[in-house]
Amino acid sequence: MTALSGTIPVFASLEGAPIALKAWILGMLENMGMPEPFLMLVSIQLSILGFFSVFLLLFVLASWFERKILARIQNRRGPNRVGPAGLLQPIADGIKMLTKEDIVPVAADKVLHACAPVLIILPAFLAMAILPYGKNMTPVELEVGILLFFAVSTATELAVFMAGWASLNKFSMLGAMRAVAQILSYELPLILAATSVVMITGSLSLTAMVEAQGGYLLGILPNWHVFTPWGFAAFAMFFISALAESNRTPFDLPEGESELVAGHMTEYSGFKYALFFISEYLGLYVVCGFAVALFLGGWQAPLPFLTFIPSWIWFFAKILCLVFVAMWIRGTFPRVRVDHLMNFAWKFVIPLGVMVLVSAAVWHLAGRGPLGWILSLPPLLIPYWLMARAYGRNYDAGGRVYRFAE
Amino acid sequence: MNPPSETGSPSPNPAESPRYRTAGYDSDAQLLEVSLGPQHPSTHGVFRMNVALDGEDVVKLKPVFGYLHRNHEQIAEQVSYLGSMPYTDRLDYFCSLSNNWAYAAAVEKLAGIDVPERAEYIRVITSELTRLVNHTSFLGFMLSDMGAWGTVLMYAFREREKILDLFESLTGSRMMGNYMRFGGCRCDLPPGWLEQARKVVDGYPAFLDEMESLIATNEIVISRTQRIGRLPADKAVNGSMTGPCLRASGVNYDIRKVDRYGIYDRFEFRVPLGDHGDCYDRLMIRFLEMRETLKILRPALRDIPEGPVMDPKARQRNLRPPEGEAYARVEAPKGELGFYLISDASDKPYRYRVRPPSLINLTLLEDLCLGEKIADVMVILGTIDIVLGEVDR
Amino acid sequence: MPLVIERKPLTKLEKTWLPQIIGGLKTTFGYLRKESVTLQYPEERPVIPENYRGVPTLVKDPNGRVKCVSCQLCEFVCPPRAITIDPGEIPEASEQAHVEKAPREFEIDMLRCIYCGLCQEVCPEEAIFLQNVYSVTGTTREEFKYKKEKLLELGGPLPDRHFKWDKKKAAAESGNGGH
Repeated sequence: MTALSGTIPVFASLEGAPIALKAWILGMLENMGMPEPFLMLVSIQLSILGFFSVFLLLFVLASWFERKILARIQNRRGPNRVGPAGLLQPIADGIKMLTKEDIVPVAADKVLHACAPVLIILPAFLAMAILPYGKNMTPVELEVGILLFFAVSTATELAVFMAGWASLNKFSMLGAMRAVAQILSYELPLILAATSVVMITGSLSLTAMVEAQGGYLLGILPNWHVFTPWGFAAFAMFFISALAESNRTPFDLPEGESELVAGHMTEYSGFKYALFFISEYLGLYVVCGFAVALFLGGWQAPLPFLTFIPSWIWFFAKILCLVFVAMWIRGTFPRVRVDHLMNFAWKFVIPLGVMVLVSAAVWHLAGRGPLGWILSLPPLLIPYWLMARAYGRNYDAGGRVYRFAE
Repeated sequence: MNPPSETGSPSPNPAESPRYRTAGYDSDAQLLEVSLGPQHPSTHGVFRMNVALDGEDVVKLKPVFGYLHRNHEQIAEQVSYLGSMPYTDRLDYFCSLSNNWAYAAAVEKLAGIDVPERAEYIRVITSELTRLVNHTSFLGFMLSDMGAWGTVLMYAFREREKILDLFESLTGSRMMGNYMRFGGCRCDLPPGWLEQARKVVDGYPAFLDEMESLIATNEIVISRTQRIGRLPADKAVNGSMTGPCLRASGVNYDIRKVDRYGIYDRFEFRVPLGDHGDCYDRLMIRFLEMRETLKILRPALRDIPEGPVMDPKARQRNLRPPEGEAYARVEAPKGELGFYLISDASDKPYRYRVRPPSLINLTLLEDLCLGEKIADVMVILGTIDIVLGEVDR
Repeated sequence: MPLVIERKPLTKLEKTWLPQIIGGLKTTFGYLRKESVTLQYPEERPVIPENYRGVPTLVKDPNGRVKCVSCQLCEFVCPPRAITIDPGEIPEASEQAHVEKAPREFEIDMLRCIYCGLCQEVCPEEAIFLQNVYSVTGTTREEFKYKKEKLLELGGPLPDRHFKWDKKKAAAESGNGGH
């Protein structure tokens, strides 16, 4: 306990560290007699630089982490040659990507072919601006943050389609068409899931949503949305749709390598390919970041006595946990088929999303307490059970009987 | 051949099913012709399918093969009888020992050579282990074709390695066995081999249980395989499909039971049959077959007698079988593998012909794939379980 | 009477499809903590079993004599015709003159060789062995044509049980040569 109490001040001072660092640099520049507009510019640039570098570092970590996790799941060791435990592998990969020849197909639309990888990485970075990383650490404080997120995240499909169209490759085209259908379909459950939080919080601002999840029930249970019936359902929906939005297994149809080679990325090589790769991971981080902010209490500590750890550490820890789950799922499940994906979105997730709204409303009207628990569960469980039954009727999973000859 | 069972066959006329809508296809619509392969991640080698797509639906599919043609049959007519034994390893390189057996059996039939009992036991043990290897890696490859990122493949390879280690210490090579000889086997089992094999066999059910829990009831696997690529029993028989794919359609035809070649009549095992003939049945039949294989292996490893492994009178080099012809077949893991030989009393076969199960099963690919989605083509191809070394020869 | 394989129908809980998904995740999570089964190849080498069929090599007997007598059986049996032997006489003056012949040149094209081991099986002199060398590398086709020296270097001496030619010589010297 003494060791712990010793560390507390260190952590406490870390809490404001990023902001303090920025203030210090700005103060230094002010002392050097820089003009006011310049200081403002530097202030903005510093924020941008901050989360650019943090997320690129996270991307580098994630590609290493993903390969390690998949390897461990598959009884392998994963990258272990470059640097300690293979940690420098992403850097080696980066160098390889940079030095590779950039091949543009002769028949391709050269302008669009070059634009697509740049365009695809923009939305991820734009959406990062509104994430609440910690207490008072939202780069751009927007009253309608959540709207911006949806507006921006849909833009990726434009880039994906651009890539597929410009490549003039049949696999690319098929992949792009799949991607458009998929992203459009899963945008809706994503919005429905977020809407339930908006209903409960009464605000479109992410900061307000995180703050609404502060405090602890009975002194221990955090007051996060995920620990409510509607919140849990909405979180599951949000996460599934997030996987589909960022083209992760089991919804990686656009690049489904066993049928479409690499989908919209088939004709990309070198650093253009790397940009697609980066955007995929950044997209995953961003969408997990939103899941954390909406349902997992954002930067709030999970237990009251852990509040001494800086809020931004909690935020990133939660993101990493969700990213781990995404990788774990990738290591476990096969890919779904395109019509199943659509059926799943339109006949299962979206109806359930509407029921989540109902459930959230019931929860709110029933006073957000034990009564809410009792009343808000049936609107979720009954439709779920009915739909799962209906789904099971299409297949004879366990009921299939095999005979032995003779 | 047994007639198709009444209970087992799916709807007799697939053209009536809405999936098969090729007949009335609107020719004005624009089709997307895609050439899948020969360089494609999941065509199991250099196999090519010319697919015409309407959206994601397959309306035409033409398998193109021959990219891996190595002139196996012609070469075999130029070298001695013994000389083509190592080449048979390279037909279906997952099941080299079954191939060895089929070829050795054909030559034995041609030349009238007997096989000692211990060698018969070794042949049964090795070819049943081969069946385990094949079906295990089949599961892995098929799940990879479905997009499972290699996890199941790695688990399958982990178990397969254990059997390959056995093969390595027995034959000197992990995959290219070259182990059977006319009138027996090349060498006796190394000391301790039987114990090791028993250990592998005893550990196998646990692995199968794990795989079943991972695969058999998984929602995505079920939705990707059930009612996909249905093959009615009559069509399967007409297309002369053999092996697990035929049995998944409900036709009771297992050469181990039909011919009772070797010493298979000494073992108690059953032939699992599917009902629907879809991809899920083809998958599950392999699971069930592996469990039956274990039932053969346990008594075989227990009862194997001492004795010579080679008929001392059998000649290997300069074998000149009397004039005549012979066809011998075995139930290879992929189906009926047969060798047809004509001898003109010289030291080379006058005619040498392989009946490869992969190639003949593959001829039904178009019928299976029409009306399905493009993603299903890969799964269907995966469940037919081809090896290009055998298709192209 | 067909025997029916019992496969249990889904329980109420399983009909929600969640237990199957969670079960799959649990299986893979279990492996996260388990030791990996792979071999770190260049550092760790696989155990090569006794009768492994690696690269074919020529061996010498313990006295340092090249055992091959260039009978060319291996050349004839080799299915891909990878072996080329140029037989040569042994000079009278040599102390190995009692041996029938020796290869002037012995060449195995490793790009043609399929490691089938038939050469080892047919060799009456036990002179060619497929030993435990499994990694063959080279950058040109010429490099893969292993000459006699290279094959002998790879093979090294092996214990001999028979000393056939020495016995023959001794027998000839004691007067009851031939057979």
